Formats: sequence, structure tokens, C-alpha cells
Amino acid sequence: MTVPLGAYVAVSAVLFFIGCAGVLVRRNAVVILMCVELMLNAANLALVAFSRKYGSIDERGSVFVVFVFVIAAAEVAVGLAIILSAYRNRPVVDVDQIHQMKG
Amino acid sequence: MTFDFIEPVVFALLAIGVIAGGAAVVLLSRITAAALLMAFTFLSMAGMFVLLGAETLAAFQVLIYVGAITVLILYGVMFTKFSDRPRALFFQRQTPLAVVFVAAVAIPVALLSFSFTSASPRPGGGDLSALATSVFTDFAFPFEIASVLLLAAMVGAIVLTGRDDPEEAARRRRR
Repeated sequence: MTVPLGAYVAVSAVLFFIGCAGVLVRRNAVVILMCVELMLNAANLALVAFSRKYGSIDERGSVFVVFVFVIAAAEVAVGLAIILSAYRNRPVVDVDQIHQMKG
Repeated sequence: MTFDFIEPVVFALLAIGVIAGGAAVVLLSRITAAALLMAFTFLSMAGMFVLLGAETLAAFQVLIYVGAITVLILYGVMFTKFSDRPRALFFQRQTPLAVVFVAAVAIPVALLSFSFTSASPRPGGGDLSALATSVFTDFAFPFEIASVLLLAAMVGAIVLTGRDDPEEAARRRRR
């Protein structure tokens, strides 16, 4: 491994903060979902990199990455379903305007 | 001559791809372009997994993220309307560019497939056997829980988006 571990972790951190900034800045619900996916993927990269560097032979870090894949797929399916049902109720995707359930 | 310099160069290219794609998702105002660049970010991430020696995870990444999640998000983009979309018909105006890309992919594939000599298959299978051993021994119960979670998510998505009221559906159709 000629590329050091720190380089992978740096890329992972940068991508995580890009996704975090996207969630905070963008107001379109679908784009917010995309930025959440970016953050999950950044976490995956850190998991795989640490698993390669310090992990034992049984690939536990990679197993966690598989579970993250499963949860990301479930999250995007349910998230898009919620966005679509809210959109059917009132045709907006701007999260600042979706406030029917605000107390 | 050693080839030690290739891995850092490939890593640098993939890192640029990941970070530029991620930044484009946040910065671009056209949602379709953002979704496609998100797919590009996921592809670069799969390249990083290969560089780390996790080929199985790279295959999963391409199948699940680039295949399933990107397509799902593109459907979400399709079914919701945006006021900040300056131009419609994003996919239908790049015929020359599409021809160039198709030729760039298809010609090498065709040449390779006709000049292919069968190599002896490599034993082992990368990281797959270790991953499968771990999933089906120590993590067998979480694996089953994950499958139940996927089933619940599928049922939930159907319940949330399906119309169960036939009168309301007919009224919407007439409109």
C-alpha cells in the first residue's frame, strides 16, 4: 500500500463535509437525499481504508460496509417515498415550504 | 523500471473525481446533472475500493449505488417538478457527444472480444471468501435482520406511494 492511510481518510473527510454542507445549504429535498448518500459513502471509504490497514483477516470492516449499503438502499427508498407522498399532497419539494406538520 | 508511481497517480485521479463530483452535487442547480455527477462520484469511490483491494465491495458499490440508488433518485427527480430548471429535455440534446462516448466504449470492447485468448482463472476470488465467511458466521443474525429491514423498507415505500382510495384515483385521472 504505497498510498498512505491518511490520504484515504482525508478524501473521506472532505467528501463527508461536502455532503454535510449540501444537507445544510440546499433546500431541495431530493438533493438533500443525494447529499446524505454522499456522507454514507464517505463513511464507507473510511471503514474500508481502516479495515485494510488495521483489520484482521476476517474482513469485519467490509461486513459493516455491506450493512451500510443495505441501510442506504432502504433509506433512499423510504426517503423518496416520503418526498413523493408529500409532493402529492402539495406540489413542492422545497423543504422550507413543507411545514404542514409543524407544531 | 518499477511501477510504484501508478498507484498514487490513480489515487489522485480518483480523489479528484470523488471530490469534484461531490462538490458538483452541492453546487449545481440542475438536479439531473447533479444526480448523474453523484453517480460519477460513486464510480470513483468504487475505483478507490479496488485500489484498497476490496473488489467485492467495489462490485456491490457499482450495483447498488451506481445502479439502484442513482436510478431511484432519477425517478424521484422525474416525478417532482422544479421551478429552478432552466432547460428541459436534458437527455435528448447530446446525440453527437453520445455517439463519441459509445464509440469510445464499443470499439475497444469489440476489438478485445475478438482478440481474447482464454487465460487460466486465478484461484481464490479476492476478498470475497473472507467476506462471505464473516457474513455467514459471526454476522449471520445481523444479516437476517438486514434482510427484514429491506423487506420493511419495500413494503413501506409501496404503502407510502400507493393510492388505496379508488374514488380519489379516478378523480385524479379525470382531472
